[in-house]
Amino acid sequence: MSWHGIRTVAALELRQRLRTSKWPLVLGAWFLLVALVTFLAYYATHDQSFRSGQAMYDVVIFFVLGLAMLIVPSLTATSVNGDREHGVLATLQTTLLTHWDLALGKLVAAWAISLAFLVAALPFLAWAWFEGGVSAARIALSLVVLVLVLAVVGTLGLMFSTLTARPVASAVLTYLTMGALVFGTAIGFALSAFLVTDTEARTVYGLPDSWWQEHQPPPLDPNDPNLTAEQREQLSKSQLQPTRADCVRFTRNGTVAHTERIWWMLPLNPFVVVADAAPSEPRPQDAYSSAFTPMRWISAGARMARNGPEEVVDECQLSTGTSADGSPGVDPMEKALGTAPVWPYGLGFLLLVGAGSAAVAGERLRTPIRRLPNGTRIA
Amino acid sequence: MGVEVQGVRRAFGDVLAVDDITLSAQPGEVTALVGPNGSGKTTLLLMLATLLAPHQGSIRIDGLDPVSQPREVRARIGWMPDGFGTWDALTVREVLHTIAAAYNLPADRARARTEELLTLVHLDDLGDRRARVLSRGQKQRLGLARALVNDPSVLLLDEPASGLDPRSRIELRDVLRSLASEGRTVLVSSHILTELQEVADRAVIVARGRTLETQRLDADFVTTALAAWRVDALDPERLTAWLADHHVPARRVGGGQTEVQVAGEENAARLLADLVRDGVRVTAFTPSQGALESAYLAATEDRR
Repeated sequence: MSWHGIRTVAALELRQRLRTSKWPLVLGAWFLLVALVTFLAYYATHDQSFRSGQAMYDVVIFFVLGLAMLIVPSLTATSVNGDREHGVLATLQTTLLTHWDLALGKLVAAWAISLAFLVAALPFLAWAWFEGGVSAARIALSLVVLVLVLAVVGTLGLMFSTLTARPVASAVLTYLTMGALVFGTAIGFALSAFLVTDTEARTVYGLPDSWWQEHQPPPLDPNDPNLTAEQREQLSKSQLQPTRADCVRFTRNGTVAHTERIWWMLPLNPFVVVADAAPSEPRPQDAYSSAFTPMRWISAGARMARNGPEEVVDECQLSTGTSADGSPGVDPMEKALGTAPVWPYGLGFLLLVGAGSAAVAGERLRTPIRRLPNGTRIA
Repeated sequence: MGVEVQGVRRAFGDVLAVDDITLSAQPGEVTALVGPNGSGKTTLLLMLATLLAPHQGSIRIDGLDPVSQPREVRARIGWMPDGFGTWDALTVREVLHTIAAAYNLPADRARARTEELLTLVHLDDLGDRRARVLSRGQKQRLGLARALVNDPSVLLLDEPASGLDPRSRIELRDVLRSLASEGRTVLVSSHILTELQEVADRAVIVARGRTLETQRLDADFVTTALAAWRVDALDPERLTAWLADHHVPARRVGGGQTEVQVAGEENAARLLADLVRDGVRVTAFTPSQGALESAYLAATEDRR
């Protein structure tokens, strides 16, 4: 393996791609699509009272990731078996290029093309940045994660193209794997949530049911002038709102979903990885604003699932409308976003998958071949 | 040195492509590998070209084992596959530049080598055309140039003459002869036996994955080997009767001609002299098959 060899293969791949396929056209279509989506996101979320940078940013990043996951596999998923079908692989294998030169050269070429797509989307991310609400560091972090995810996707495609004899088969397998990562993890999480949901006794900090019984309004008419002092007191007591002082700890049976046992499925999803790596910042002035921030929601959801049910269910805040220090209570989403991120697990998993796929692809390009799978051509 | 193959066997699943092939190709010689379709020629060449590992037997190329020392072997061989493709989008020059880069040739050396090779295979005026627009014969010539980029000491050519026009064939013959005369080992598989007889020093006949025989194609072989001659006379009945009387194996072929089997040129000349002496008015007496063709047909007879 040498840099010279990798460069030779990558240059060959890129030169062929630029000349044979309509890449300028595809890149142009990509640019227009991203532009369209960005404009629509701008108009949909633009408001006098707050800046629309976050919503635009989320929409553009997700759109870029989704579309790139459709395009990037097509760069590598038919690379090796397609070359075999055209009879051009063996002529390189008999030169001094090693099998690693071939595998990595093809990967570098595919990666360079996917970077070109990302660069074409950069102007729109810059626009989101100008709109405000998104820090440059966040853009940089999500771009780095995006680039790594796309490299993994490309490597998966390359591996399948070395494993099957027909390009159609490897393309289908690659897209199925993409589907499993994106939809399979979400569906798997939703369905297995039933398996970890159970009725169990839980400690609750809140108003006991007896409180409400004691504060039942008496069957008296408040306008009745003939009420006794005792009855008047009963009436005024029933109009009292519960306060924090009324909250106690007690045990109650309830349904609990132990998502902390199945949360690991979520960060396998590239969308969760990208979203969780750089969720939107909350708007400082109003924490409960209902801006459209899908990345933030996904990120908080994944972290909540990882944290699992709380030891003590705090109902006090909900029923009394105050927290311990009297300020308006903490949003559970906010609280989850304050906990450790889940994306390092997901990215670690994806990078492992990528490294494994690259190793398989390299090994499958090794010659002389001892065992040849059915239907595979050599030259 | 050269190519030494000893008892090589290779199966694909339960299909036995090469059963037991033994051959030796010497430096300075052109060795022909001939055999019917599906006799294992291409599979053998894939094993020699370090692409496929044999299941049994041993291969030595310039004394090196292609399985355990593929890199050293690759530096020494030039392989021209049968029915190969080419990078359609690249020009002829770029194809050769890419191969040169794959052999770690520095850029200036690669350019010089490319021009040399384009001249050798007469593609200089097509150098800047896309490889896609080349005709089949021109692609074959590009394939030969590609196999020569690294100045190999062992050349493995799989059906190099297929698709070539007559002029290109003659040129290919000259190229192969001059490559051999430079001390290289040239192993060429082909179906065009008359061509091979003129270029090869030695023929290895294979069928059903086995070596049937190895035949030297020198002057001795031509003067002694069994060959077919076509004879025509003004009165064919008389000719047939004469041949029958003298127990010469003969059969009627198309165009009213008679084909006889004669061992060696000496005997052929004597047969013609005898015919003329006995008053058979011979109008034509020509070799119909080369010696190699006869040897090949005899060796592979059981297929019919």
